[in-house]
Amino acid sequence: MSQNNQVILSTRVRVSRNLTGYKFNSVSTNLEKKEILNLVKSIFFDNNKNSDFEFYNISRLSKIQRQFFLERHILSPEMTYKLNFKGLILKKSKKSLDEVLSILINEEDHLKIQSIVAGLDIEKAYKNVVVMEKLLERRLKFAYDKDFGYLTSSPVNLGTALRISIAVHIPAIIISGKVEEFIKKLNKIGCMVKGFLGENSEVIGNILLVANQMSLGKYEKQFIEEMNAICLNIIDEEKEALEELKKDIPLIVEDSVMRSYGILTNARLLSYYEAIDFISMINLGIDLGLIKDVKPFNLYNLINILGDSNLIINFKLKLEPDSDELDKVRMDVVREKLAIKKLKK
Amino acid sequence: MLCEFCKRNEAIVHLIKVVNGKTERLNLCINCLKEVDILQSDELLSDLNAILEKILQIDIKVSDKKQEGKIFNSTVNFNDFLPVNDKENDLANNSNKKCSVCGFDLKTIKATGKVGCENCYNVFRTDLTPILNKIHAGTKHIGKIPIKTSKAAKLVKEIRDLEYKLKQEVMVENFEEAAKLRDTIKKLKKRLSIGKK
Repeated sequence: MSQNNQVILSTRVRVSRNLTGYKFNSVSTNLEKKEILNLVKSIFFDNNKNSDFEFYNISRLSKIQRQFFLERHILSPEMTYKLNFKGLILKKSKKSLDEVLSILINEEDHLKIQSIVAGLDIEKAYKNVVVMEKLLERRLKFAYDKDFGYLTSSPVNLGTALRISIAVHIPAIIISGKVEEFIKKLNKIGCMVKGFLGENSEVIGNILLVANQMSLGKYEKQFIEEMNAICLNIIDEEKEALEELKKDIPLIVEDSVMRSYGILTNARLLSYYEAIDFISMINLGIDLGLIKDVKPFNLYNLINILGDSNLIINFKLKLEPDSDELDKVRMDVVREKLAIKKLKK
Repeated sequence: MLCEFCKRNEAIVHLIKVVNGKTERLNLCINCLKEVDILQSDELLSDLNAILEKILQIDIKVSDKKQEGKIFNSTVNFNDFLPVNDKENDLANNSNKKCSVCGFDLKTIKATGKVGCENCYNVFRTDLTPILNKIHAGTKHIGKIPIKTSKAAKLVKEIRDLEYKLKQEVMVENFEEAAKLRDTIKKLKKRLSIGKK
């Protein structure tokens, strides 16, 4: 288990585009939204092109399906209410959907082209997005201004309309009490930071989402290079914090780690946020040499498969299970993935 | 209290969902309530039981705005960059200007943090530019441009790319190369101004 991979969990690159001649989505009419949805869909799938992609009309998805996509960060919360004329074009994947290539239609802007890749690879994710844009740009005219760049609903997204968001896993920095300073430094160099899971103000699983604040006034490749350098710094900082801890592991840290281990070996039920918290602690425990008999695991993949709707769909559970049933399945999955044996009664 | 979806109408429906001690709140105006996928027909609004049943299915979470111990500068809000002292840049009071396409005025842009359409950026260019300078790295776009755009826009892009290269050549003291670039830029700028006439 490479330590680096467990610091940068995923890279997401998205660009926003709006079509010229239509109002933006805070005021566009249902007719306009419908036209945009149908136009994009027909251009993309014209002549049986792009059959390796699937189209979803969001209002026709079941609640479970929407939740599934939400848990996977394929849909944003904004896509799960006011469902009229919202669409999703998604690349079909035989694998686990950890890597995502998609277009959101009629979310905050007419189009949001996004690519999520595991680990740190901004170049790759950006290339994916460019390829997707090429599939559309010859037949669609984008709203653009020579000074403000690609025009977006929110002025905060103007210019390249590029947002690079990185999910970073920093248990050592957080447990050493260094996270406030860490975040302030990032804010100073033009990054926005929030919790990756849960409500913005919480940090579940020691995972933060770091994104560029600016999108206008520099080349795409400059934003990419800067963000890349920032990520490499983050990896170093987490490594340093870990080395510091290793020298003399505080009892309180050892306690947190071993409690997590205790629960994962003994508990019968596990809720989602708890699961991610404990798994993060186990990861720290392994890195500190406190825990030895756990199988190497992929934290990012676990985050994606342990959500309620993901469990329901992947394990073909009944559609309205009791939360207990879900929590039990989740417990079993975690133990299996980490190869932790349940202690006998 | 304004509706949380459109931020324009007064919220008259207050949905409060309490599950296992956790409270979720949503305040909506009647139009936005109708647009929520599940409540479509007007008849439904008259049957309270039906409404309550449907409402329990809404899976929206609205976080409590009061964030105690807020250490996150999470998503950037356009409103955070508006001038606090409204003397010179009095966005709210400049109520004469309205976008002819979507009807937005500066007050609405301030309230929602968004513009209504592409034309808004023309109408409110001078008002928005100083704010954009605070949010972004500049207000002259460099980088990718659409394939389908005007010749003028393509020319502007070419000029800006050359100006960027010029800066770089000057930095490494390739003055000969820099001079060549400067000449090319001059020619292109001339072409641009001719095109405008």
